[in-house]
Amino acid sequence: MAMEIVYRVKRFDGEKSYYQEYSIPYEKDRTILWGLIKIRDEIDPTLSFRSACRSAICGSCAIRVNSNALLACKTSLDKQLALYQTNILTLEPLANFPVIRDLVVDWENKFKHMTEVKPWLIGEKDCPGGTGYYRQSPDEFLEISNPTDCILCGCCVSECTQHTNLRDEFYEPFIFTKSWRFTADSRDNSPKAHLLPVLNEGGLWKCVRCQQCITKCPKGVRPADHISRLRCSSMNYGFTDNLGTRHAQAFAEYIQKTGRLNEVTLPLKTEGIFRTLKRIPFALRLLRKGKLRPLYFPSPIQGIEGIRKIYNRLRKEEKK
Amino acid sequence: MLTYDVVIVGGGGAGMRAALEAARDKSLQVAVFSKTYPTRSHTGAAQGGINGAFAFKDPTDSIEKHFKDTVKGSDFLGDQNAIDFFVNECPECILELERMGVPFSRDEFGRIAQRPFGGASSPRTCYSADKTGHVILHTLYEQCLKHGVKFYNEWFLLELVVDKGRFQGLIVQNMHDGCIHPVNTKSVVIATGGFGRIYWNRTTNALNMTGDGTAACFNAGIPLKDPEFVQFHPTGLAGTGILMSEASRGEGGYLINKNGERFMSRYAPEKMELGPRDLVSRAIETEIREGRGVGGNGNFYVLLDLRHLGKKKILERLPQIRELAIDFENLDPIEHPIPIRPSCHYMMGGIHVSDHTTCSTPVPGIHAAGECACVSIHGANRLGGNSLADVIVFGKAAGKGACLSAKELSSGAEPILLKRTAYWEEKFRTMREKGHGLKVAEVRDRLAATMWNNVGIFRTEKEMEKALSEVEELLQEYNSCYIGDSSTKYNSAFIQYVETGNLLNLAKAVALAAIARKESRGCHARDDYPTRDDANFLKHSTVTKIGDEYKLSYIPVTITKYQPEERRY
Repeated sequence: MAMEIVYRVKRFDGEKSYYQEYSIPYEKDRTILWGLIKIRDEIDPTLSFRSACRSAICGSCAIRVNSNALLACKTSLDKQLALYQTNILTLEPLANFPVIRDLVVDWENKFKHMTEVKPWLIGEKDCPGGTGYYRQSPDEFLEISNPTDCILCGCCVSECTQHTNLRDEFYEPFIFTKSWRFTADSRDNSPKAHLLPVLNEGGLWKCVRCQQCITKCPKGVRPADHISRLRCSSMNYGFTDNLGTRHAQAFAEYIQKTGRLNEVTLPLKTEGIFRTLKRIPFALRLLRKGKLRPLYFPSPIQGIEGIRKIYNRLRKEEKK
Repeated sequence: MLTYDVVIVGGGGAGMRAALEAARDKSLQVAVFSKTYPTRSHTGAAQGGINGAFAFKDPTDSIEKHFKDTVKGSDFLGDQNAIDFFVNECPECILELERMGVPFSRDEFGRIAQRPFGGASSPRTCYSADKTGHVILHTLYEQCLKHGVKFYNEWFLLELVVDKGRFQGLIVQNMHDGCIHPVNTKSVVIATGGFGRIYWNRTTNALNMTGDGTAACFNAGIPLKDPEFVQFHPTGLAGTGILMSEASRGEGGYLINKNGERFMSRYAPEKMELGPRDLVSRAIETEIREGRGVGGNGNFYVLLDLRHLGKKKILERLPQIRELAIDFENLDPIEHPIPIRPSCHYMMGGIHVSDHTTCSTPVPGIHAAGECACVSIHGANRLGGNSLADVIVFGKAAGKGACLSAKELSSGAEPILLKRTAYWEEKFRTMREKGHGLKVAEVRDRLAATMWNNVGIFRTEKEMEKALSEVEELLQEYNSCYIGDSSTKYNSAFIQYVETGNLLNLAKAVALAAIARKESRGCHARDDYPTRDDANFLKHSTVTKIGDEYKLSYIPVTITKYQPEERRY
């Protein structure tokens, strides 16, 4: 098949940014990275991108293709062409990183957040004097297996909707994964030291659970799940005096009581009277559009007994 | 001028282990220069595990058995004093990793899990599923963050400056802005990995495994030791050469030819698929040569069959292998056998280390560790699981050694460092301005083709001579290369130009030493000299570069307690 494929690449030379199109002859069973290397070797040696292991373990080659972050080395060209029903693909650097040149982004300041969560074991729980080794059961190892799959490729950073909005007020998803990896490690003696930085500085409760970090991770790492686990841990450690915890607790109460939410009283429970007052203009707008029913107090749904049974069972499990 | 006491070049396993060791001495200024972000280093691609004779899995295992396996695996070319040091250090070095936080897979007693590996008489390979190198690399990086190690990420080594036998410092380029800097340092640890990219795409190695540190040492007059010993990993994916861990055989995988036969019974009746890598690679190539390969149209391979292991075991122990097979060969090993063929994997040879306890080279102040170095503990063939152990044990030793050197030596002379900086600035400028010539990628591809075809798994004098003369031609043509990128910012074309030059220099040494070794030993298999010749070749080759001349000579192998014998598996 003599088809041409086109890589439309976002270029940046340090000053100006522009798109450049490269045509290459189609070949079957190739990867996105194959095309980039072909362009650099045969058409344009100035095209800058990173790549190293070409087997999805070093994390160098993460870029965006048609606005979705992926690893160029492991992504099938055929599947991308089929997915978008096109022979033109737009390649851009990862979002939410400063760009150095073309598809090459700067990682330097990401390591600062990483250092904040103290990504190392603290304490000498059952390994006295720093000799010998820690015992850990296969199940305890499994707890940290998923978060240690992270290769720091940055796909989650690029696609995280909340990090895009809030920048430094909501840390890069992989930072939460790193925090959870050490919070959950049975060998660690100071889990709070890894958790508090993301609770206090990292915006732990600001995740909107859009799941982009999970869908986009090329290694099956689940940052949004790790965020949920960190939230539970933070509550178990007694860090409950915050909006996030109150919001979660209000949810839990409503569901137990009636099986559904009450959106009118929810802000009161989460934010208190003072903050809720500030929301009045917003509430009025909702009212006007018919999206809020101020005098609606839901009665329990059918089957509420089942829900309550679930709650009781969970509480019992917790006590164990 | 950037001034340090100890500089480490390379941010992989050996480099970061050395940095952690050097950083313990608070009186010394230490920095790491790495051409990639440290966690991108190729240590992360090591899958199967790291050897330590803990005797957890098999109570009969011992340090002594690890010693004997390593000597035998090396086809008796490993230095036994160094191997003795190595196998004794392995367990404690692995426990240090564990205490740092490396997430190892565990046995039912909560101890580090161990698995069988090629050429090992007991299961002693400690692992974390099939991503052992990855978790070690990331843990080392986290430890470096903890200890505040100074990193220069994406700074590229251009030259080691040695003047009249004295180490002066190094010349590096900041890839982000293109600026070239001298670094004045009393000692240096070179930990820049191997140079499997002399075979370009026929390798499991990363695209940047170009032996920059090895070439810099070689250019500075330090001999290359045993460069002819190139390990071909038996199980690279047939299409791409991507690594399928030895763990896949360690966990019980079969190798099957087109007749559905487990052909290893002919080559290693006892160890079968768990023979050492040199032997298994030759067995696969022999099957293909004799018409029992699968495939066609000049594209032959054999099959790695994991199906009988069952879904549970594959998901638990070999998740990455499965993922790679799905992504790169479009098949799921739970349901289908995987097409594989040997692929260049590891350089046993490298920078001549003259003292294994400090990893020092003949030039005081220059130390080397990891794949770039040749201690030699791997001799003519490295055992699986010994390379991660190597980077940890000798990275640590090199870090200590470099501290000792820094205390004995004075700083380099600034005038010569400035002079060499000016040379490289001029070179960078000329190359950016040069408008036409030969494409670097073309030279690189021709190098790879001749090395693969003529200095591959089976070798003959005639073919290797052909490779040598082609490499010499390419070295000439290299002078007329142009890079085609005039930017100072992130000029990867210039980096690749220097890398290709490094590959050419090293490939020539490989061919030269391979031609001269008229015997078959370990992974150096000659059709024209099919047997081992201890009378004439139980010795290390060294190649020294004096100007443009390559001088070949030999040094003795240290044999302490295990006399050479026939190698059977």
